[in-house]
Amino acid sequence: MGHQSSNKAKGANGCNLRALQIVLIACVCGWFIMELEILGVRVLAPYFGSAVYVVTGSVIGVFLLNLSVGYMLGGWLSRRANSQRTLGINLMVAGVWLCAMPFFIEPVCDGMFNLGLGEKLGSLFSALVLFGVPTLLLGTVSPTAVRWLTTQASDSGLNTGLVLAFSTVASFAGCLVTAFYFVLLPLRRTICISGIALVVLGVMIVLQAVLKSRTDKSRKAAGL
Amino acid sequence: MKNRMRKVILTFMFCIAPALASQEAAGAEEFGPLIHQKDSLYHRIFVYRLGSFVTLQFGRRAAVNFQSQVNLRDLHQHMAEYTKLAFCGLLYKPQPKKILVVGLGGGVIPREMRYYLPALDIDVVEIDPEVTPIARQFFGFHEADRIKVHIADGRMFIRQQLRRDPVPKYDLVILDAFNSDYIPFHLMTTEFLEQVKGVLAEDGVVIANVFSSNRLFDAEFKTLLAVFGRCHVFVGAYSSNAMLVALGPTAPALTMKEAVDRAMVLQKRHGFAFDILTVAYQLRTNMYPNPGVKVLTDDLAPVNWLRTQRRN
Repeated sequence: MGHQSSNKAKGANGCNLRALQIVLIACVCGWFIMELEILGVRVLAPYFGSAVYVVTGSVIGVFLLNLSVGYMLGGWLSRRANSQRTLGINLMVAGVWLCAMPFFIEPVCDGMFNLGLGEKLGSLFSALVLFGVPTLLLGTVSPTAVRWLTTQASDSGLNTGLVLAFSTVASFAGCLVTAFYFVLLPLRRTICISGIALVVLGVMIVLQAVLKSRTDKSRKAAGL
Repeated sequence: MKNRMRKVILTFMFCIAPALASQEAAGAEEFGPLIHQKDSLYHRIFVYRLGSFVTLQFGRRAAVNFQSQVNLRDLHQHMAEYTKLAFCGLLYKPQPKKILVVGLGGGVIPREMRYYLPALDIDVVEIDPEVTPIARQFFGFHEADRIKVHIADGRMFIRQQLRRDPVPKYDLVILDAFNSDYIPFHLMTTEFLEQVKGVLAEDGVVIANVFSSNRLFDAEFKTLLAVFGRCHVFVGAYSSNAMLVALGPTAPALTMKEAVDRAMVLQKRHGFAFDILTVAYQLRTNMYPNPGVKVLTDDLAPVNWLRTQRRN
């Protein structure tokens, strides 16, 4: 009896730790989404001005659109057996994209301007090209996190609320810190460092997935 | 419980909210009663009138600084020092043919430039479409054949000019798109000033209206020096306004004596309602930016933070 209960407690602890890890990943992604969104306005202003169209229309619009596609994709990916590895790879790709972004801001924005696109369409398409992929990939995190937390259907609402609440609080923090402090730092460097952070996170997630599948395999081989 | 809630709401509606509103209105008393207000895409525009004096303000009603002020009885009286200081460009280029003004406000600078120099071609860029009708209705501003307001972002307008063939060249470019509360960073960086350089005549000058009381002054000064190599300052005598004058490659680097001599000739020729000599006397040719600030770039331009840092 005693043995059983201690085992149960150990299981619950492991479960909590795993839940914490999942929520943390959702938080990190929530942070980067808003950080990018605010920096996005700064990226585009030199090319398309800081008119209302650029800020509210193009940047926020593109982020919302790509997040929604990301949510769909994330929901679909969450049903796959190797969803952890896929998610890690998604974050790595988003990170690499951000690291490379400083080098193609100018060609993209100048290209749109030279096509004769004005502040509305020019900023919209530039935002789409520059920020579409990373936002979409960051959007895949929340649905996957909900799936990982959920072991029974009756908990799904609770888990969804948990993930959304924490990642949104992190978005709030990302907003404030970016708007108040990161604007005092070189823009391109901030984007690059954020990209590196995402790559590191992605690599950690993939590594953990690989290690887990190995131990699972060896356990199976041992007939456990 | 419900009753208590209702009490709180009623208290707020009848006691606190009106108190807040009246406090807000009190800040504007010195400019007289509000005669017009309009919400634009960018801010709320306020127009006050006290006797024949009309004042334009953007954003906060309680702000101390105003955008523009005119005396309807004498439109050529300069109510603010900076509109006078903006004429310093004429010392360097006494007979300009074509000028660009970024930022319209009440339209005092383009209107007065045109009044004294009727043959001048003036392009004005104003981002806010609601500002021009207000300048026309309340501040005696008129568009005409040789004075044209373009509704656009300043930087986008200049880039569009750069694409034209031939690229139009301006003798004076006056940058006045800043108010005391908010400064668009993309109109202060080296990249932007390089574009301005592209539309500036060889012997033209760029005049930037700035406040000399905060560290943004040093940053903007340093940035102009980085792009143009030479930059003079006209410091306000009784306001914290200053004009940074960046010189084109062949524009003359005036000494104080030359500036005063030229001012006397100009005063005789145009009969300015203000004394342009007092403007010339504000020239500082030996002023340099304080160390400790960086050149502003598209990558790093903490303009609204620098603006809050007092200059030592």
